[in-house]
Amino acid sequence: MRKRVTLLPRVALTATLLWALTAVCSAPAAAGWFDDEPPLVVTVNDAYIDVYSGPGRGYPIFHALEYGEPITLIKSRAGWIKIATERGLEGWVDRSAMQYTLGPDGQVPDFTDEYRSDAVVGHFELGAALGDFGGADSVALSVGYRFTRNLTLEASYSQNSGQFSDSELISAGLLHQPFPEWRVSPFLRLGAGVIKVNPSATLVDTQDREDSVLQASLGAYVYLSRRFFLRAEYVNHHLLTTRSTNEEVSEWRVGFNAFF
Amino acid sequence: MASWLQRVFLTASVLTVLVWPSAAALAQEDDPLEPIVGADIERRHIKEDMLDSENFEVGAYAGVLGIEDFGSNAVLGVSLAYHINEDFFVEAIYGSSEAQKTSYELLSGAVELLTDDEREFTYYSLAVGYKVFPGQVYMSRDLAFNTHFYLTAGAGNTEFAANRYATYSLGAGYKIYLTDMFAVDIGMRDHLFSHELFGESRQTNNFEGRIGLSVFF
Repeated sequence: MRKRVTLLPRVALTATLLWALTAVCSAPAAAGWFDDEPPLVVTVNDAYIDVYSGPGRGYPIFHALEYGEPITLIKSRAGWIKIATERGLEGWVDRSAMQYTLGPDGQVPDFTDEYRSDAVVGHFELGAALGDFGGADSVALSVGYRFTRNLTLEASYSQNSGQFSDSELISAGLLHQPFPEWRVSPFLRLGAGVIKVNPSATLVDTQDREDSVLQASLGAYVYLSRRFFLRAEYVNHHLLTTRSTNEEVSEWRVGFNAFF
Repeated sequence: MASWLQRVFLTASVLTVLVWPSAAALAQEDDPLEPIVGADIERRHIKEDMLDSENFEVGAYAGVLGIEDFGSNAVLGVSLAYHINEDFFVEAIYGSSEAQKTSYELLSGAVELLTDDEREFTYYSLAVGYKVFPGQVYMSRDLAFNTHFYLTAGAGNTEFAANRYATYSLGAGYKIYLTDMFAVDIGMRDHLFSHELFGESRQTNNFEGRIGLSVFF
């Protein structure tokens, strides 16, 4: 009985000690995550800047910022920036107006467009595309990770609905862009995956089948805005069937990808 | 006694190992060569990446979907959109509904064209949208909400009657921004696809009216 009494505080002590240690060790990291970033303050360096009630040129202008007035940048949406004045008035200014402001270092803030793939190294991209898969309509989703200037690892899933059969395709691939600094940047992709074909339910005597598939594609990224691009692609699918001959399917697709 | 001593040493060594990095960091901060009086404000260069961007929009909606020949049915769906600029956005929607019996099935009494499972109706669509007529609506003298209309066109798939149909969709809607983050979306979509459930190929229009709430992040 006595032993148990002494054991309990010891367990509690060890636990507290461990907890305190963990807290001490993780504190600097946690502080980094939860610390409020200092506000982004710029001063107006033009005769005036119009303030709109919403993020778009069609919304009413209800205020004008004066020369030398400090403004806080709150957030951006669709090419517009939400600002607050020192008096607490909030509104939206066009992103291009940022070139008429000065940051705390006396420099114009960096709001230039960089239509370059090498500006997004280390980012994930999410894409959706529509196309034609050997006569069937295809819809594809993809997730990619750009890990160097030129290379992207990518996984994609697509559904194809044809007149006589539907199919689903899952694949992984490696994408290479030789000229990532170009706004229209060509790429080559090699991939492999699995395709599952379900013949249409209205046909008789059919069986679902699953085959491996090898893919080679050529295409291009076209940068539309800073984190957004159009992607056009031609894919050659090589189906490794269990029958005596392999099958080839050509697919073209067009879609959009966004970096985040 | 010996074990007690061991424990003390063990705890001390563990503490040393764990606290060492932060102690080293503290020591670095005490650099005697640091200027005594620093600048009041940080003279940093502002870049666009430092600014929080809210271009994504996620939403949920409910409404009524008229499945051609299969009655008007409740529909529930989710949506994800990305706003490219002030004019264009792209959206992905996924919705599900359940078809009722056709008039023929009801009148004939015994005929069942589809099983219960086959009556499940789900669709998804990827669409490009165009925002038009931006403006404000006034709720009271001091309260105004931003609004705009939008048009969408897209393509996707519909799963119905144990088949998948390539589907085109057209849509329009009205969006009311309660705050910068939350918006009410009142809209309609037409899902067009052709099926051969009644023997011959038939192009169908499946209209949907809906109301939803979306959040920007």
